[in-house]
Amino acid sequence: MGELIERIRLAAAALADFSSHLFDPTIRLGVTGLANAGKTVFITALVHGLLRGGRFPVFEAMATGRVARAYLAPQPDYAVPRFDYESHLDALVDKRLWPASTRQISELRLVIEYQSQRGHQRALTLDIVDYPGEWLLDLPLLDKSYEAWAAESVSLSRLGPRAGLARDWNSYLATLDPKGAEDEQAALTAAKLFTAYLKACRDKNYAMSLLPPGRFLMPGDLGNTPALTFAPLDVAGDGIAPKGSLWALMRRRYDAYRDIVVRPFFRDHFARLDRQIVLVDTLAAINAGPDAVLDLERALAQVLDCFQIGRKTILSTMLRPRIDRILLAATKADHLHHTSHDRLEAVLKRLTQEATAKAELAGAQVDVVALAAVRATREATVRRARQELPCILGVPVAGEVLAGETFDGETEAALFPGDLPDDPNELFRSDASAFQGISTTSPQNADFRFLRVRPPLLEATESGISALPHIRLDRALQFLIGDRLQ
Amino acid sequence: MNKTWPHRAPAVFRLDDGNVIVGLAEDAAAKYPVQVIPEPDTETSVIAVDDPLQWPRRGFRWGAAFWGAVGGLILLAAGLGMVRLIEDLFARSREFGFLGLALAILAAVAFSVIVIRETMGLARLATIEKLNRRASDTLLNDDRREGLAVTRALLALTRRTPRLARSRAIMESHLGDIIDGADMVRLAERELMTPLDQQARRIVSAAATRVSAFTAVSPRAAIDVLFVFGSALVLVRRLSLLYGARPGALGLMRLMRLVVLHLAMTGGMATSDGLIQQMLGHGIAGKLSARLGEGLLNGFLTARLGLAAIDVVRPLPFTALPRPTLRNLMSDVLRGFGEKEEAP
Repeated sequence: MGELIERIRLAAAALADFSSHLFDPTIRLGVTGLANAGKTVFITALVHGLLRGGRFPVFEAMATGRVARAYLAPQPDYAVPRFDYESHLDALVDKRLWPASTRQISELRLVIEYQSQRGHQRALTLDIVDYPGEWLLDLPLLDKSYEAWAAESVSLSRLGPRAGLARDWNSYLATLDPKGAEDEQAALTAAKLFTAYLKACRDKNYAMSLLPPGRFLMPGDLGNTPALTFAPLDVAGDGIAPKGSLWALMRRRYDAYRDIVVRPFFRDHFARLDRQIVLVDTLAAINAGPDAVLDLERALAQVLDCFQIGRKTILSTMLRPRIDRILLAATKADHLHHTSHDRLEAVLKRLTQEATAKAELAGAQVDVVALAAVRATREATVRRARQELPCILGVPVAGEVLAGETFDGETEAALFPGDLPDDPNELFRSDASAFQGISTTSPQNADFRFLRVRPPLLEATESGISALPHIRLDRALQFLIGDRLQ
Repeated sequence: MNKTWPHRAPAVFRLDDGNVIVGLAEDAAAKYPVQVIPEPDTETSVIAVDDPLQWPRRGFRWGAAFWGAVGGLILLAAGLGMVRLIEDLFARSREFGFLGLALAILAAVAFSVIVIRETMGLARLATIEKLNRRASDTLLNDDRREGLAVTRALLALTRRTPRLARSRAIMESHLGDIIDGADMVRLAERELMTPLDQQARRIVSAAATRVSAFTAVSPRAAIDVLFVFGSALVLVRRLSLLYGARPGALGLMRLMRLVVLHLAMTGGMATSDGLIQQMLGHGIAGKLSARLGEGLLNGFLTARLGLAAIDVVRPLPFTALPRPTLRNLMSDVLRGFGEKEEAP
């Protein structure tokens, strides 16, 4: 019943959008990405590029000069904060710092005035939403009962490196009796330990991705509310909770969490997307090891399953909007020499192969690209004892360690992160021949080391900052909105 | 520590380290074990591609509608006349009637075959134009799938060119390799277009030589004009055959129109192409002998036309290979006066 009402609400909103977009063409661009994938940087670079006219030779409308101007417009939602583009840009350019993790949802509206190829004056409105990537992991919960989620979480916490991180929570879990009486203190402790376990998994040494519920990691304004005071119990996937039990309490709160947090989030920001870019930080997972890579694959499969993807028809536009173009982007491609970009794309393709096949079957266009919204490195060849290594030059962030060197954030270094294999499947093995990441071995012995690099030093001209350097941001734009600027 | 991972391990080199030198240092290499050689920006370098030839197409094509309608009317009139004629023939005698009917059917069949051929020729021309545009786009956006598709289309187009058999085999062996879109197009250009470009250059310079020589010795200006026009037609047709277009009569007309348009659009380019020097040179030749100067000028115009025709009928834009210039064509022509003309 609730499902049906939700559907009707979505259809009504879509219909309202459809009528207003008839006169004012709008693209809702979904910038999707798990935590630390680089959503904020991507949006900042995209907005800056469009406002200031970045160097985009592949973005046809801009390269041929048909885009007259782009400007920021008041956003449509009164209750959502504005995306703080200016201070993100300042931090990036002046202080040379990457933005901190996003803690709140925010929104931005951009209007692009252009001349169509036939010479008509047109305007295209682009709505972009930024949000904490952790929250994205909530979307798969919409279709999951408490029991299914609990069983999945418990079994996941006993796999691979998670087992060690979840030891405290698992041993506490063993003392709980789901069918026992309601106990607020037990719920509080369980939630605390569970959250600690999720936070430990997120550490960059482990770089796990599949960590629902997202608000446990990034509570927003809901910290310490009952809606966030629950945890999985060791219950059967198809059991029924007895009245007044701890199980029933947890179950009630899980449902409340879905109703209060997840459903509005999905309805307001994801149910009506036209185009989607999925940013994936493949390199962090490879850095951590094969377990993180497999975890990332699972998380992406679950998240991508939540979106309405398929070819657009008039009916679908009016009642159930669909995403007709998806761009899968492996971000931070500037941490690799360009000769390895193809292999990075192959890895991402392999990570998302099921979702891609499904989307293509539904008639959507899918493209995979290795991208760096802001390029922080240059490339170099290092010659050492007759050996040539394709390296990148950059200033590693203070505190990064590699081969016994600790960086202070000022020293420039040439980095060779390790060769990505030609066959991406080699990275997905978990047997003895698998590669070693920093989750299982010391940083000295890891097979890949991608250090975080500080944003580039830019020369300011009198008209402000010159164009931000990037890798394939123009190709991403051409794919995402190029056809609507014809 | 057992290493099972077969690939190269990560490494780091601090630029302020004593063992590291930035930049090329041949003799200092012994002193510094590690050299860091910065590379030029590959990602941001702008790829130089010629602007593809595009005429903006505005809305409904009235010209096409007009010619289509007039053609239809003429066909109707001819059909009506034919029917009347056959009726008259039958009225006179049965035998004449049947003979006329048979001839009419034969004419109709032949006409439809011609129409089909012409349509195919036009379609092939359109394919080449589209291929050229797609290749230009691929050079810009570096799309691997599109690059492969362009290469495959090019292979299909040149399937009937025997001299490319070896190049085609090489190209087909590269189809499975991991090559970026733009590089694929460049590779295809190098492999498949090199022999054709050389041949095209020979054809153009031979035509220019012939025109020059003929103009220098011909008795009348009117004959010159006819000869120049005729050899221009032959030249364009041979070039289009060479690059795989095989146009019919209509196709040749369309091609001539495109070539002339191209000449008009790129006329300004000729100045940078050494036109001034060429003209000056001919001026001096003209001082020596009026006929010779005139001949050289005609040859020069023919070569210019040939270059424009190459641009129009070549399925790939010039990027990896140098575009033939008027200067080296004309030096061929001048040399051609002393030598035997090469059989193309």
